[in-house]
Amino acid sequence: MSSSAAVPFWRAAGMTYISYSNICANLVRNCLKEPFKSEAIAREKVHYSLAKFENGKSLKPTVRSNDQE
Amino acid sequence: MAMAALRRESRRLTSIVSPNPINVLRSSLLSSEEQTSAGVRCISTQIVRNRMKSIKNIQKITKAMKMVAASKLRQVQTKTENSRGLWQPFTALLGDTPSVSVKKNVVIAISSDKGLCGGINTTSVKVSRGVKKLNDDPESETKFVILGEKAKVQLIRGDSRKDIELCMTELQKNPLNFTQVSALADDILKSVQFDALRIVFNKFGSVVSFVPTVATILSPEIVERESEAGGTLGELDSYEIEGGETKSEILQNLAEFQFSCVLYNAVLENACSEQGARMSAMDSSSRNAGEVLDRLTLTYNRTRQASITTELIEIISGASALEG
Repeated sequence: MSSSAAVPFWRAAGMTYISYSNICANLVRNCLKEPFKSEAIAREKVHYSLAKFENGKSLKPTVRSNDQE
Repeated sequence: MAMAALRRESRRLTSIVSPNPINVLRSSLLSSEEQTSAGVRCISTQIVRNRMKSIKNIQKITKAMKMVAASKLRQVQTKTENSRGLWQPFTALLGDTPSVSVKKNVVIAISSDKGLCGGINTTSVKVSRGVKKLNDDPESETKFVILGEKAKVQLIRGDSRKDIELCMTELQKNPLNFTQVSALADDILKSVQFDALRIVFNKFGSVVSFVPTVATILSPEIVERESEAGGTLGELDSYEIEGGETKSEILQNLAEFQFSCVLYNAVLENACSEQGARMSAMDSSSRNAGEVLDRLTLTYNRTRQASITTELIEIISGASALEG
């Protein structure tokens, strides 16, 4: 997992613990056997739209959909 | 049936309908003067009937929405109750310390995307504003991160629109799951600077009770500062740390994971409250539609009765006039 260096490699790559653990969870999910595997993957769908605000005005929203990160 | 309708019918059908003595009699009695005065005397039953029909339809719709909300509630409620086990160990370890005052506050207001669910969105907006006011001093600043369409609409209208940092919608297109919420939490972490995150949501008590709740997540630096200062976080030092990581690294990972867990629970609790509130709102509105329908039916029947009585009087007096 993490080396004895000051910063773990995934944080050095600019990831947060959340995205790191998400990747790990996805790996575990992919290790399941078939009927359970597709079921587990279908369950974890990502969809939301994100808009940043500047001075009370909404910038153009971006849609994040089904990226397992 | 109704007088006006009958009149129209009789005018249309006199030639077709077999010469019924009453019908003939009445149509001979009708004059244009009488028609206008009759219009004044009684409510147009046509309009009342249309109104009744539309209210019946509304009642059907609200009933259906109630059913939908009830079945959605059942799904999301089990998920919510299971997700409570996620934040409890974190609260046991790091505590929930809303009173810690920090420089950069970020209020995460959770609301729904859809309306017709009572006052839960207004409550969470109000509480978010209150949290901002509580932390209002010249040195610190408060930003908003909004989840859901409804809180966005309300917060943009107020004077706090300049403090909105980020807005996320369309959360519930698929059933809520941890991957989605953690991706969301990841985006929040990457795009806002914070010392404390304050998540405002409606905690689901029962179908009729939602408790506006604030969950506080401190940034790792603040947790370290607080644990050195003692207090509720002072016991953190009594834990042993395994592996090569330092305490600040562990705390950072913990804080990030805590955030995604608490957010997951908060989003679920709010979705649960939303469905519950929609269920009770739709229940009361279909009951209300029933009441309106009852009143209208009463008016309708009374008018019809009055017109029948009038017609009888007219017939009888006409007949007696012919006799005399």
